[in-house]
Amino acid sequence: MTGRVATGLSTAVWIASLVIVLPYLQPDTTSTYAWSDGGGLLDVTLAVHLDALSARLVLLVTTVTVLVQLFSTSYMRGDPRYRSYTALIGLFEVAMLTVVVADDLFVLLVGWEVMGLCSWLLIGHHWELPAARAGAVKAFVMTRFGDLGLLVAIVVTGQAFDTYRISEVLAQLGSGERPPAGIGLLLVLAVVGKSALFPLHTWLADAMPGPTPISALIHAATMVVAGVYLVARLLPLFTPAALTVLALVAALTMVLGALFALVQTDLKRLLAWSTVSQLAYMYAALAASDADAAIDHLLSHGAFKALLFLVAGTIAHATGSTALRDMGALRRSMPLTFATATVGLAALAGVVPTSGFFSKDAVLAAVQGATAGDGPLQPAVAWILLAAGLVTVVLTAAYATRAWLLVFFGVAGQSHQRAAPADPGAAMVGPLVVLGVLTLALSLSAEPHVVVGIVTTVLLLVGAAASGASWRAGRDPAVLAGPARAALERELDIDDRYLWLAGAVRRAGTMVVAGDRDVIDAYPRGVGALARLGSGLLHRTQARNAQSYATVLAIGALAVAVAVIGR
Amino acid sequence: MSALVVAVLLPGLAGICLALARAVVSARGAAAAGAAVSVLSLICVVASWSARDGAYAGEVDHPWSTALGLHWHLGVDGISLPLVVMTILLCVLVCWSLAADVTSTTDDHEGAGVVLVALVLVIETASLGVFSALDLVLFFIFFELALIPMWFVIARWGDPGGGRLAATRFLMFTVTGSALMLVGFVVIAVTAGTLQIPTLADLPDPLTGTVPLLGGVAIAVGLAVKTPLWPLHIWLPDAHSKAPTVGSVLLAGVFLKLGTYGLLRVFVSVVPEPAARLAPYLGALAVAGIIASCLACLREHDLKRLIAYSSVGHMGFVVLAISTMSEVGVLAAVFASVAHGLITGLLFFNAGWLKQRYGSATFDALGRGLYTRVPRLAVVLLFAATASLGLPGLAGFWGEMLALRSTYEPSPALDRTLAWTLLTLAALGVVLTTAYFVRVVRRVLQGAATPRDDDIDLTRTEAGISAVLAVAIVLLGVAPGLLTGVIEPAVGAIVQVAP
Repeated sequence: MTGRVATGLSTAVWIASLVIVLPYLQPDTTSTYAWSDGGGLLDVTLAVHLDALSARLVLLVTTVTVLVQLFSTSYMRGDPRYRSYTALIGLFEVAMLTVVVADDLFVLLVGWEVMGLCSWLLIGHHWELPAARAGAVKAFVMTRFGDLGLLVAIVVTGQAFDTYRISEVLAQLGSGERPPAGIGLLLVLAVVGKSALFPLHTWLADAMPGPTPISALIHAATMVVAGVYLVARLLPLFTPAALTVLALVAALTMVLGALFALVQTDLKRLLAWSTVSQLAYMYAALAASDADAAIDHLLSHGAFKALLFLVAGTIAHATGSTALRDMGALRRSMPLTFATATVGLAALAGVVPTSGFFSKDAVLAAVQGATAGDGPLQPAVAWILLAAGLVTVVLTAAYATRAWLLVFFGVAGQSHQRAAPADPGAAMVGPLVVLGVLTLALSLSAEPHVVVGIVTTVLLLVGAAASGASWRAGRDPAVLAGPARAALERELDIDDRYLWLAGAVRRAGTMVVAGDRDVIDAYPRGVGALARLGSGLLHRTQARNAQSYATVLAIGALAVAVAVIGR
Repeated sequence: MSALVVAVLLPGLAGICLALARAVVSARGAAAAGAAVSVLSLICVVASWSARDGAYAGEVDHPWSTALGLHWHLGVDGISLPLVVMTILLCVLVCWSLAADVTSTTDDHEGAGVVLVALVLVIETASLGVFSALDLVLFFIFFELALIPMWFVIARWGDPGGGRLAATRFLMFTVTGSALMLVGFVVIAVTAGTLQIPTLADLPDPLTGTVPLLGGVAIAVGLAVKTPLWPLHIWLPDAHSKAPTVGSVLLAGVFLKLGTYGLLRVFVSVVPEPAARLAPYLGALAVAGIIASCLACLREHDLKRLIAYSSVGHMGFVVLAISTMSEVGVLAAVFASVAHGLITGLLFFNAGWLKQRYGSATFDALGRGLYTRVPRLAVVLLFAATASLGLPGLAGFWGEMLALRSTYEPSPALDRTLAWTLLTLAALGVVLTTAYFVRVVRRVLQGAATPRDDDIDLTRTEAGISAVLAVAIVLLGVAPGLLTGVIEPAVGAIVQVAP
């Protein structure tokens, strides 16, 4: 019942969003409404802005939300906390839409952080599991750290442009105003946290104990790409220095994510690292100042990665596990899942003619264009980024092929929960099919980049062939990582740095507690002791002890006598 | 007689009457009467605010002692009104919770429950007096008046173990602080020749030199004890955690604001030049307090002590904002004070309800999995924690954001390099605050449930109190303009407004 209501509501939102934003898909249709006029010291305006960019994001968010709500009616059936689960998805949708349509930076920030809150609560949905609790904490604290970048960036923007309205800031930038260098760098910090880029990349894989539909919605299709949207929207605020940092972060992250994905033993973790790697592609396009390529890849990734996560959910539903070793040979028992997953993985690898092929090539073409050096990026940086992008194409093809082979081919895994895994009912298969169709349909309007397309197709075939060869030799294609495999499985121990930091903070806390007890608390106790001493002395003067009175009198008289005689 | 005078004095007079008639009044009746009187007081405040003309609503100014230059001088402006309303709101809720408190009605001997209500009402009058006093000595008198009843509340109704000690330590610290503050007032009054705060704030040539500086130091230290500013905070964790629920709510919600309001009203506005010279020290100590209290919270195993320490951090943001001596800083200080009163009030109510159920508020006593054991109570605690960690869209965020913003663009009182360093450290405090509240959620609310016989979900009264505070927190979070619109016109009473 709850599920049906939630699905109905999100369908209504979807229809409403279609009606409202479809006109804006035409280029150069924009409108801005403000319900209040800022002014004053606070200067926050409830204002929205719609154009082709935000309209496409709105459609992505509402579409994926409907599909996820529908999928959840079956996937989460019988969950004791279904109500809070589905309500939080609703809150998340509102928050994400707020981010997308906000014209005031503070309104955007509200949505941005409420998304983080929902992410935290939903990752921790199965809070009986220690991994879910820990992953939720990590995700929230790390993204909050990044969010500080956004907060301070907003403050600096307000100071520099005397407004918090995005449209007004962009208008001032359009008329030749130069942005302060700090804003872009702070925004990079914000997106590094939200999109799990290096060095804050470690939270996304640990967020996977959350329910799989949540991973599809929040940790693949929408929240983690909010940063891409933010940068695309505010691109004129980025100075060459900020774009260079973004480019280097993206280059490192895309290769690292792909390498981690290559050796994963858990399907959801594999998809999480793949998301990290693909997000870095989007930022590569942004670093090359091509917002359109970034948003196109965002949309196609939103479709195929949501699809792949829902596939993972379907498989987990059928086999009771997300570990790759528990899968295998699912091709025959789950044909519909197999077909849609094949489309999704092909799009991830970038096979012609899926949307992933076109959008990834557009990104690489943009980066290649930046190597000419007539943009804000230094040619050397652009070359590094291009090289990383091409290496990632090989790696992506290799790990996508590996996942495809390990899940759907070979021999069945050991611990199938049910005797015969099978395709689930319409509520779960329906969203898979819709997303599969979308993954293919989004390429209809795409323009091919012929040279880049040929190069990436060759590289893709190399990666896929390598993976296939080791699989045919009876080995897990993860051996392609060679001697680095063990280190990559431990994700290069980067998390240990954060554990060390957390430990150091706790030790500092212990010191503060001890300091409060032993040092600062010493003064009230010291004063107390002093007071007791003083009162002890005063007490003597009125102790009703004739002998001591007499003694004091005698000593006093003696002192007076000595003083008088001595004079 | 002005409606404002009625608003200030009514609760206290009612309290005295109740205390005298404690033999014939039930505790429940007394609490209901207290709530009613507080509502009346609120109506009077609203009446005098809506009838305001001039800078101060409901202003009365009668010479009281001509020899001292002491005036019976009260008035409310945009700086004090939000705090006045918040104080009355919290007192109404406290009375409401007392009216439903089972222990106060069953275990009532010699009208103890009635006396507790009476003390709360006297505290209310004293606090309202502080927020509306426009004469330095009158400010001091109300400031002191609030202390003694609170000593009784903590010592008599607090924890059997350590409550008395905590109460005495609280009293000694704050009395010493306010004695210093009085010295400062005398120094300023002698130098300037008046005790009237509006006159002092508008002196044609502000006080400068060594003597006003010493006066300013005395006032600042006195108020820093109350706020509290690190490292003068040591009385606070004990007092807040040993006090009964109503005491904790009033201590955190109202008493700390006496300090921050004082810093605005009788420090920054009265001695601007010495305040500017002290601002860097205030700012640095405020940030030290933010970091230190957050670190302490990460190691705290008692929910009430944790909330108490978190207050030190939140007050750090307020003092940081004040130390910028800018318009935005004043706005931030008042907004954050009100938000903290509502949010921490809710947190302490919640911790108190848990303590009432499980006998103690330590994590071990509470056990795990409150989400399943007492779901509604757990969700209220989650909400309050979320608000306290400064989630945008809830009241706590705007205060913190404005405080950070004021630190980014401070007045010349604060060196820019220092200010930006403080900004960075304070921002890290935001992350640490998230970390320790998330830790509470993980340790107490989540996890495999450890059921107890005492697992009783929210009662009607508890749900009502939570709802009132939650609505206020969401309202100020979604529409901060409601509050800033009141504060902003009065900012000029505290700092020079840029033309």
